[in-house]
Amino acid sequence: MRRFFTAVLEQGNTFTADTATEPYEVGWASEARWFVRALALDGDTEIEATPELSPDGLVWCEDGTPPLRVSARTPALVTAEQRGFGNWLRLNIRLTGGAPRAKVIVYLALKE
Amino acid sequence: MHANPHAPLHAAIPAAAASSAAAPANAAATDLERALTRALRASDPTLSRFNPLSRILFVNDFDNGTNGWCELSGNHDNNLDSLRARARDLRPPQLSSLTFFDTGTHGSIDGNYALKLATRPVRNHMAQAIKRFTYVARGPVQFEMYFTFKAETIFNQPRVGERAWDGNYHPSAAQFGDFTISNDVGEGENGERYHCALRYLNTDHEGRLVQQWQYKTSVQPTTMMERTGLAPSPVDYHVCKPEDWEPVPGGHQPLCYNEIPTKSNWHYLRWVFDTRTRRNTELQVNDLVMDLRELPVPRYDHPYWGCERLLNFCLDVRTHTEVRNFLWVDSVVASVDW
Repeated sequence: MRRFFTAVLEQGNTFTADTATEPYEVGWASEARWFVRALALDGDTEIEATPELSPDGLVWCEDGTPPLRVSARTPALVTAEQRGFGNWLRLNIRLTGGAPRAKVIVYLALKE
Repeated sequence: MHANPHAPLHAAIPAAAASSAAAPANAAATDLERALTRALRASDPTLSRFNPLSRILFVNDFDNGTNGWCELSGNHDNNLDSLRARARDLRPPQLSSLTFFDTGTHGSIDGNYALKLATRPVRNHMAQAIKRFTYVARGPVQFEMYFTFKAETIFNQPRVGERAWDGNYHPSAAQFGDFTISNDVGEGENGERYHCALRYLNTDHEGRLVQQWQYKTSVQPTTMMERTGLAPSPVDYHVCKPEDWEPVPGGHQPLCYNEIPTKSNWHYLRWVFDTRTRRNTELQVNDLVMDLRELPVPRYDHPYWGCERLLNFCLDVRTHTEVRNFLWVDSVVASVDW
């Protein structure tokens, strides 16, 4: 059996400004899949969530994975696979809109 | 077996056969069983680091996954907005390779991985993981682990008001707040419920090193207590008021920081509580053994439904500053004497 773990990195938290998920160690996993679920989006709020990598959990860069986008025009749940990573992953979350406000659950599903 | 300079209050591997006093033949068989058990455990490289009671409940080496240790959550009605403030966002545990910016992967005692609890970089934020069990019989329960702890490396360490780096002392030592081992014991609707909790307070909230083991003097406010107005939302998850902690007698203990935040030295911890006396029994951390039998453990004055024979084990870490705090656990062994 392959090891598996789902981490809930944002547990229905509400954001009104850009943020990033907490650094998460995934070196044991060979597969990583993000899920972003919007529980509430105020007005014209849009979420752009970009998977990032880090060698040390301190300094971050993008790896070319296209950003996940969530808005009133998209499904409430979106997903993306991140490949070829090292030990540290996070999602860089940017909010746009007049007075952005988003309540989200972020899952990171990891498989050995 | 693990070298223990002090005789445990609950001897390791007590008689397993209930009829040991019945006949000399039975006593000899019990002695043989005890000796065989000891030899078999001593021949296992993982178990030989521990000193379990007669029956092992679980052996968790985090090279083999999270082993049922998961994020603690408060109660809710399937709506996360109903989570009380102190029982939400307690963070998913991580399988950590202890990888740092300066030397790369540190690894664990055996293999690569340890269980890591990590706070947010938010003052007073706590991360807590739980392992959920029930009990078969009341009596002594022993929890052993190898652990290490640090504050996160932050570049450009602030100097104002802090003891500066001198090549030996590192300011990050004062940026680690506290960690706590605790349980949750429920006897059922007609019985008692209580939490034993022992905290290593590394610093006070002004960043001064304290390095003291503490026990708590009030119950942990629950979702039901908050919802029914019995308790306000607490500042400190474990107690009604932040000051509801007392020092464990003889419990001052500087732990091995080893000079910088990216050197991790494993410590041995052995904690015994007794669900018959509803008290802590003793805590051993490396060579320090603290007798806890006379210290009170607060109990709820109201019943809880659905917590029959509840036996949960919890670990948490809390930062006192805007710096992430980490608690790593290499391995855990829990044992009982039934």
